[in-house]
Amino acid sequence: MKILEERGFVIPAFNTTEVDYEFCASKLKTSILKFHPDAHVTILTNKDLMHDKQVGYANDWQVYHLSPYRQTIKLEADMLMASPCIHWFDMMQHRDVVISTGARDFYGDKVTSRYYRKIFDDNHLPDVYNAVTYWRVSQTAKDFFKYVKDIFLNWQNYKTLLKFPETTPSTDVVYAIAAVLIGPEKCTMPFSSFPKIVHMKRYLNPINHNDWTKELVWEFDPLRIQTVAQWGAFHYHSKSWLK
Amino acid sequence: MSTGAVIFAFNNEKIDYVRLAAWSAQNISRHLDIPVSLITDSDVTPDGFDQIIRVKTPIAGSRWFDDIGSTVEWKNTNRVDAFELSPYDTTLVLDADYIVASPQLHYTLNSLTTDFLCFKKAYDLTGRTTGNLLNTFGQHNFPMSWATVLIFKRTHLSKIIFESMQMIKNNWQHYRNIYKIDRPTYRNDFALSIALGIFSGHTNQVDFILGSIPTLTPDVELKKFSSDGYELNFIKNNKPVWLRIENMDFHAMGKKHLETMIENS
Repeated sequence: MKILEERGFVIPAFNTTEVDYEFCASKLKTSILKFHPDAHVTILTNKDLMHDKQVGYANDWQVYHLSPYRQTIKLEADMLMASPCIHWFDMMQHRDVVISTGARDFYGDKVTSRYYRKIFDDNHLPDVYNAVTYWRVSQTAKDFFKYVKDIFLNWQNYKTLLKFPETTPSTDVVYAIAAVLIGPEKCTMPFSSFPKIVHMKRYLNPINHNDWTKELVWEFDPLRIQTVAQWGAFHYHSKSWLK
Repeated sequence: MSTGAVIFAFNNEKIDYVRLAAWSAQNISRHLDIPVSLITDSDVTPDGFDQIIRVKTPIAGSRWFDDIGSTVEWKNTNRVDAFELSPYDTTLVLDADYIVASPQLHYTLNSLTTDFLCFKKAYDLTGRTTGNLLNTFGQHNFPMSWATVLIFKRTHLSKIIFESMQMIKNNWQHYRNIYKIDRPTYRNDFALSIALGIFSGHTNQVDFILGSIPTLTPDVELKKFSSDGYELNFIKNNKPVWLRIENMDFHAMGKKHLETMIENS
């Protein structure tokens, strides 16, 4: 796609039969614009795909080619922005690619549970979360997304390289493998220096049920969970929360 | 500008808190070199206090004490009044069962850069309690702030924190529901934690005293082996274990064992 702006956010929202990602993306866009009314935010939907639509998350590699920005921050759709985020571009502009590393619980503490990350540990993959990914148009980013595409389209081959591989690859695992291929030092940052997401999956938080929305008290404007003020990208995970 | 310590002590049918406070006052004077005032409903007039501030008996709750083996009356709800009752400009509030055995708090008092301080964390000195048991409360592990040791200056900011605690105390059932606290008994630690959450704009980012409170769970028996040396006796992995510590402040939750040690020392 033609470059239209220097910096902007891209939100992939490829609807599935189960999830209305376009709705989630519109909420995320609103939350960004609340802090940054002049920010450029593009929602990518199924009709924007330039190549054949793949199953599951396998369309993700196309975002590199679809972004209209020279510097892009890709955000997963099922998140809300709980505080200003435009400065992330300044933090990351010296790198070609940055994938967020590690996650926080709703208290803002670093998540230590490895419940969902066994495949990462078993295969010594970097602990990346594609939910916030920065890139600028560059050879490194081009290579990275070439690998992402290749891994998604040839998963049957790549998975033979892994211990205990997933049947269908998650985007995080694909990004982690791609990161290894281009070198983690080229595309990750230390946990403490990068805007890492709050992830509301059950075993990453002190909650008792899969759907935290039925268990915790939440408030909007400002976003607070169980009275605790949230900041940065809040990955609510429970897709029907804002419906 | 005056600096002093305050100890709240309200006796019940099982524990002589005033006696614990009087013993603690000697340690405080020796190590911290500050006057100590007693806040109590008791008629007795023990030696060693700068002032004895008599107040009405606070509303009592009940609480199970492992070292006593029964539920006893627990009159420990008026910590929120410390701001009004303290006669000092800078106040150190200590639980009667907090043992001062070093000048650690002296250094803290003399390097204050903030209006209000407490400990954020505690740890089990015997190493038997792990995880978040001492450092969170409620079903969703809200981070604890300990009211065992408080340092505050008489300022507007401190007043706000104590007023918030008072509000939480007055509406305890409401806050119990929000934070999903199982036990009905009001606790100063929980109220302080919630108040500091409010005070920080719900970020929980406030200044704390450096370090964690070394803590003894109620079952640990105590003996003294020197002026500031204590022997701890407890059961670990079904075996009796002893441990000696010296020149280290700590929180002895077993009031009865502490009382026994004071009697024997």
